Amino acid sequence: MKAIKYPTLKETLYFEEMPNGLKVYLLPKAGFSKTYGLFSTRFGSIDTTFVPLHEEKMLKVPDGIAHFLEHKMFEMQDGDASEAFAKLGASTNAFTSSSRTAYLFSTTSHEKECISLLLDFVQDIYLTDENVEKEKGIINQEIGMYDDDPDWRCYFGSIQNLYQNHPVKIDIAGTVETVASINKATLEKCYHTFYHPSNMMLFVVGNIDAHETMNLIRENQQQKHFSLENPIQRAIVDEPLDVDQKEAILHMDVTMPKMIVSMKINDILTKPQERLKRELAMNLLLDIFFAKSSTLYDEWLNEELINDSFSAQFIQERDYCFLQIGGDTLYPERLKEKIFYFIEHIQEYDIHQNDFLRLKKKTMGILISLFNSPESIANMFSRYYFEGIMIFDLIDCLDSLTIEDLISLRKLFDLQYTSSYTILPQNE
Amino acid sequence: MENVYQMAGYTLHLIPTNKFKTMTISLRLQSPLLKETTTIRTLLTFVLMAATQDYPSTKALAAYLDENYGASLSTHIHTKGQSHIINVTTSFVNDAYLPSPEHLLEKQLQLISDLFYRPCLENDGFQQSIVQLKKKELQEKLQANKDDKFSYSLDKLFEYMGRDQILGIPGTGYEEEIQKITSQQLYQYLQKCIEEDEKHVYVVGDIPENFVNIFERILKFPSHCHDYPSAYIFKSPRQDLLEVIEKQDITQSKLNLGYQIQCDFTSPSHYAFTVFNAIFGGFSQSRLFKVVREKHSLCYYVSSSYDAFNGMMIVNAGIEAKDYHKTLSLIENQLTDIQAGHLNEEEIHLAKMMLENALKKTNDEAGSMIALAYNRDITHIHETSEEYIEKLKNVTLEEIVEVAKKVKLDTIYFLTGKEFHESH
Repeated sequence: MKAIKYPTLKETLYFEEMPNGLKVYLLPKAGFSKTYGLFSTRFGSIDTTFVPLHEEKMLKVPDGIAHFLEHKMFEMQDGDASEAFAKLGASTNAFTSSSRTAYLFSTTSHEKECISLLLDFVQDIYLTDENVEKEKGIINQEIGMYDDDPDWRCYFGSIQNLYQNHPVKIDIAGTVETVASINKATLEKCYHTFYHPSNMMLFVVGNIDAHETMNLIRENQQQKHFSLENPIQRAIVDEPLDVDQKEAILHMDVTMPKMIVSMKINDILTKPQERLKRELAMNLLLDIFFAKSSTLYDEWLNEELINDSFSAQFIQERDYCFLQIGGDTLYPERLKEKIFYFIEHIQEYDIHQNDFLRLKKKTMGILISLFNSPESIANMFSRYYFEGIMIFDLIDCLDSLTIEDLISLRKLFDLQYTSSYTILPQNE
Repeated sequence: MENVYQMAGYTLHLIPTNKFKTMTISLRLQSPLLKETTTIRTLLTFVLMAATQDYPSTKALAAYLDENYGASLSTHIHTKGQSHIINVTTSFVNDAYLPSPEHLLEKQLQLISDLFYRPCLENDGFQQSIVQLKKKELQEKLQANKDDKFSYSLDKLFEYMGRDQILGIPGTGYEEEIQKITSQQLYQYLQKCIEEDEKHVYVVGDIPENFVNIFERILKFPSHCHDYPSAYIFKSPRQDLLEVIEKQDITQSKLNLGYQIQCDFTSPSHYAFTVFNAIFGGFSQSRLFKVVREKHSLCYYVSSSYDAFNGMMIVNAGIEAKDYHKTLSLIENQLTDIQAGHLNEEEIHLAKMMLENALKKTNDEAGSMIALAYNRDITHIHETSEEYIEKLKNVTLEEIVEVAKKVKLDTIYFLTGKEFHESH
């Protein structure tokens, strides 16, 4: 077991790779009552075409299958994992993102039993045709819940606008039709391919002793057998440079219009450190132009084009990258024109040293405060881990950014790859 | 572990801990929840946060917070039964984690004081342009909330169930009253809050030695003590069940049920009801989740929540329109089953463990530590978490059945699609 010290944050991280390939990270936190365990696999909603374990040909699986599998993992031969956690006084949950699936528990007692249970229920699968069928009604209601949510429709619609082929344009839960086509055999193929220990990472944070915990995990893994796995082959997405749609409008039973401008970035970086640097620099750049302390925010607020819901964000995942700018607005068309103008003329907008330094301070403070909560540490850790980055490096990377790093990002802005998605009330 | 000091015009509660990298300060102002003041009080929380004389615009204030290493500053408004609470919260990085000492505590505390004593004024009122901007912001926020069908349908349940009563007063005000409020009225209302609201300040973090002196120096309010009522038991003037069905152009129907329960935060049966709710629908191990979702696949979410300050209970679920009657009867069956005493010790034990775990977790989050302490302080319940857990553990099967028997469905609010027919 390796101990890595981070003096600025006053934290020590412990690491070990198990013989079967599972990576384990432990972060003891003195004074906390809670322990939080997160077991993640690099398998998300965009992994829909791949070579299954011990097979040779690419297979296209139904959209929404990673999420469906997440729902079914809780079923065990001898009962339900949520109930088993409850009997330990713990609670459990799971989530699926575009690039990973994560299972978690949170407890204030029986930490060791909880860690074993988390490993055991995720490292075993129990499916029957009946329990697969039964889940479909529940998932359809989950999909229906998002259908009526205007914020979600606008957010997701603005992503769908950008991509012609990339599976990020498909809802994480899939559609009612794709969910209907999911069966036991395909779920099992996904499970055996992506839930191999070498594709997974366990992170435990909270009220734990690192040595005892690592021993426990080591023993747990020694008892299990996994067949050897070659590196997983995922299909490479052939995504054209152009956006799918420049503009879309959806009418819903709502009163407040919403509008998001999204911009596709086709220049995808591959080196983790470069990606991290771009992410932090881009977020600073967006803050400089669109945070509450920015000139544009102030102008647009006074022109009544935006309100508190306005935001700008940068998303960079495995093989795609984009920006989203927008929010609730009474004047979607005018706001859209303003944002388009900004994107087209970004070279003419200066970046001032004092804004840069001020927002760097702000980001620093926010990064430090994320280390307050075991949940936020675990979720951040898992997200960055699969990107090849240790979260503790974020602060140093931020520190080393220069204003030139931000200036050079302006070339990524291109009106040609920009689109808009608008939600309007039904009578407009 | 909590130290309490009586200060000028407020009670200061210090909760020392060094497990966080930030310090959190929360100032809570309590006043009765009234139809006449709910809108002006809500608007005040928006205007208060907009600017101070030193930082006279959203932009200037935001820039100042950026400089203070991203210190947060926010106001929220919510109800606690018969009380209407304004919450001003700031959280900022502890100096120990910064390259050089920044004295953020003094700076942020001064800022809170300035929100009340040094706002931007003109003509004996708040600055007109700020008020105009914030009226628009509140208006749009209320509209956006309505567009969220989950919260809209819940608000509607309260509106119908609590018609002409406290429960029916929206804690975020009435949309149609926003424009009528003048800058002068708003400023006068601020003066009234400063004078008459009951105030508590909570601090969670690594608390230095001279801490109380800093508060003594920077934050002062007029010294008046008010004891405003908060928790109460909801009672309906109606005898019959009220069923309201509203149709909109939506995919998923939202079922919301309101129950009378004859119990609130201060009742002796509070502990038994808390356990009852955990068994009935409070967790994903509870009966509603297991039966309505897991067994019958009718929904993605279904749960019950015990509103201990309004002395009532809510059940909500997102379902298909055609499953309306089926879902209603499944929920009803679970209630009558518990009322008939069909409970086992294991189920009770499990519910108690979940409650204990949930309570202990609040100790790891500054905001929940404060919320928990505040609930006790405004109801004058002197009880440690250990005592509370002990009381939960002592709840018996008979007591659970006893509280369950008092549960009575009062109002159904069903938001459904245009194609819904009564005859289903």
